[in-house]
Amino acid sequence: MELYVLFGTFTFLLLIGTPVAFCLGVSSFATIAYLGLPPVVVFQRLNSGVSVFALMAIPFFIYAGDLMVRGDIARRLVALAGGFVGHLRGGLGQVNVLSSVMFGGVSGSAAADASAVGGLMVPQMKERGYDTDYAVNITVVSSIIALLLPPSHNMIIYSIAAGGRISIADLFTAGIIPGFLLAGLLMVAAWGMAVRKGYPTQPFQGVRMLGTLFVSAAPGLILVAIIFGGVRSGVFTASESSNIAVVYALLVTFFVYRSLSWHDFIEATFAAVRTTAMVLMVIGCAAAFGWLLAYTRVPASMVALLQGVSDNPIIILLLLNLVLLILGTFMDMSPLIVITTPIFLPVATAFGVDPVHFGVILILNLGIGLCTPPVGAVLFVGCAVGRIPVWDAVRTIWPFYGAALVTLMLVTYIPALSLWLPSLFK
Amino acid sequence: AAACEVTLRSSDTHPEGYPTVVAVQKMGEMLEERTGGKLCIEVFHSAQLGQEKDTIEQTQFGVIDMNRVSLGPFNNIIEETQVPSLPFIFRSTDHMHRVMDGPVGQQILDAFSDHDLVGLAFYDGGSRSFYNSQRPIRSIEDLAGMKFRVMQSDIFVDMVSALGANATPMPYGEVYSSIQTGVIDGAENNWPSYDSSGHFEVAQYYTLNQHLIVPEVLVMSKTSFDKLSAEEQDIVRQAARDSVPVMRDLWQEREKVSEQRVRDAGVEIITDIDKTPFIEAMVPVYQKYVTSPKLQQMVADIQATE
Amino acid sequence: MKTIALLTGRLARVALWVAGIGLVLMTVLIAAQVFWRYVLNDSIIWTEPASVMIMGWFIFLGAAVGIREGYHLSFDVLLYVVPQRIKLVLHSISDLAVAGFGVGMIWYGWQLAEKTAGNKLPGLGISGAFDFAPIVAGGVLIVLFSTERIARRAAGLPTARFGEEAEID
Ligand code: NA
Ligand code: NA
Repeated sequence: MELYVLFGTFTFLLLIGTPVAFCLGVSSFATIAYLGLPPVVVFQRLNSGVSVFALMAIPFFIYAGDLMVRGDIARRLVALAGGFVGHLRGGLGQVNVLSSVMFGGVSGSAAADASAVGGLMVPQMKERGYDTDYAVNITVVSSIIALLLPPSHNMIIYSIAAGGRISIADLFTAGIIPGFLLAGLLMVAAWGMAVRKGYPTQPFQGVRMLGTLFVSAAPGLILVAIIFGGVRSGVFTASESSNIAVVYALLVTFFVYRSLSWHDFIEATFAAVRTTAMVLMVIGCAAAFGWLLAYTRVPASMVALLQGVSDNPIIILLLLNLVLLILGTFMDMSPLIVITTPIFLPVATAFGVDPVHFGVILILNLGIGLCTPPVGAVLFVGCAVGRIPVWDAVRTIWPFYGAALVTLMLVTYIPALSLWLPSLFK
Repeated sequence: AAACEVTLRSSDTHPEGYPTVVAVQKMGEMLEERTGGKLCIEVFHSAQLGQEKDTIEQTQFGVIDMNRVSLGPFNNIIEETQVPSLPFIFRSTDHMHRVMDGPVGQQILDAFSDHDLVGLAFYDGGSRSFYNSQRPIRSIEDLAGMKFRVMQSDIFVDMVSALGANATPMPYGEVYSSIQTGVIDGAENNWPSYDSSGHFEVAQYYTLNQHLIVPEVLVMSKTSFDKLSAEEQDIVRQAARDSVPVMRDLWQEREKVSEQRVRDAGVEIITDIDKTPFIEAMVPVYQKYVTSPKLQQMVADIQATE
Repeated sequence: MKTIALLTGRLARVALWVAGIGLVLMTVLIAAQVFWRYVLNDSIIWTEPASVMIMGWFIFLGAAVGIREGYHLSFDVLLYVVPQRIKLVLHSISDLAVAGFGVGMIWYGWQLAEKTAGNKLPGLGISGAFDFAPIVAGGVLIVLFSTERIARRAAGLPTARFGEEAEID
């Protein structure tokens, strides 16, 4: 019965447009009152859920992303991507994907990627005769790359949700091959669509131009080296690297590019506060919600239920993927990570799946959820940038969903794609 | 457990199969048998209900019924718990057992009752020693300037500083890669954690200096305890006491398995160490934390215990 | 109503500034932690608990301002299909629920602060009650801003919708 109260209140509030954080919080509050337990535990979970040191990577990576967008780092990275692949068939589609690889290598937010890369690419693509839906769709789906390539604060959220015992450095490294795999498959899909629609190609800008673009974008690219080199050589930890990203972005935009005004700086700070407060409030309230799930033994029942369905890991993983994909279409990423990890990770490990491998599956899966209606934050950003209704975008997004799903299946059933690279550092 | 009239919810941060988890489950079986199926226990392991600091508050509020926790989080709440958490207070695990099974142990258990809790029994938490990636530590001088990860606890930080090393608090999940890359030089823990965390793969020098032999404690919520009849309360207390030897056997077994696994991996284990300079270095730490006459008396009682 | 809106607007601005300064301060603290450890080979042990506490402040203040400015994540499907009058009722129910949660943050946050007031926070040496100051302060602002939304709606004034960007000053 208490589960009806929990999920009933949650669904009702969600449907009447209550912010997701408060849907989680209020439904937990109502359920604890229904159970006759002291409600103080809900607020204790809310407070401890966000009083976690490793979570600071979220405000920092988001802050760094906002600074890079406002301080010209993102634009230069996109220009460099254009120099590399702009001359391929459906060139600007390829540029869009490669930009996400570059920007994703310095940021961990798919929404920041979609707004930064989309904001720069979609208008250019429209101007050169690409369909708006094509431009929006490639922008949206390719921003999943930012979640997989390190840095990724969602990997940190996962590590914390799993009890803080999974190495963040391993998770970061595990996402690299899947990230490039997704980029490759999306470039193939972009090329296929471009051929069918007869999109134009543009001439190669020349090696000299490429050099110029490279020099111009170099400070942004150096950040990748600094983050990797710093973590790998022991200057700072993986979660501290988020702080270094902020400091570095500030130094480059203030002193090298001189592109960040005082006003931009304040606006970037406020933007980061807004996004961070929203995300972390969801995480805090989800901690209360998750506590009630554990208290009412939902994870244990879930394991028993799935074990009853099959004892074949392949089928269990398929089922988990399916459930996550469905949940992902309705809810946003960070709350889902904190809610589903304590439930699904025990199931996965019971079937012999490595926690690092499962983390990559989870992030990729929920990343796809960001691009699907009804609640797809990245899809919304993409459509807002392209000024088209969600429905128009979704009608022609299927080839890109296809590429993402193929990546998901490969990553799910070939553990080495995730685990080989971290094993090299052991 | 479904057939029980009252199922007590007990929290533990360790995973399923860990000695403390199994011991509380065994205690639950005893309860079920001795109360004719009226009372039993369900252990919520793997920190499902929260980390120790949070579950302690939940037990105090009566949201959960029982809790297996370290003494560390109690140090700032109940001053008596600071004494067994002092570095080098116990000479050996056997010494710790004799103290905690005796009057000092009872005094500490009784102190919980002022904080909405009932102290039931002490479990083993193993003995903690330093491991690092740089060099074998044979004397206190070898520790100078090294960076060790410790838990965020004032007494641990002060202990490490008093030994001449740098205390670096950081999340547990970052310790492995931080030792590997050199952000820190090492950490400190017991055999089972040194093994299960994989830290022995990157920190191959383990010095058995045993700076901390801190017992863990099984507590019950006063609210839940008061709901039981006097007879049931006795049964609960007795079952908790009876779970202690079960736990100690499981713990020893676990320690042996971990030690063997780590030794097989070729870790260098340093046992021939003179603890005297380490103990002498602790004088300022004792001065800072053992302030009241009550605590000074407890320290004296422990030192006088054979 | 206009005067009140002006006042709450100022309050939200102040909260946003405090949160923003907190974020910058946290950036400085962690950078100092890395610098001290790597360059000076010495560890600062209070930067971790201090930045966690600052984070609490900007999360709860930022979340409260989000109620006023409408930048929280939400899900609006049902609202597209119901008539305007019902929509306003649903919005008010939603604001009431949020306000109720805000009351809980104040009441139970205070209770937690009282319970832990005698403890000392490791690394910082200050009372455990400070841990819960952000949640209480955030609760006060959440109640205030949700009530303002309900009052504005009753007075026929616009409120920011979640998921939309709106200027409501
Ligand atoms: Na990334
Ligand atoms: Na993109």
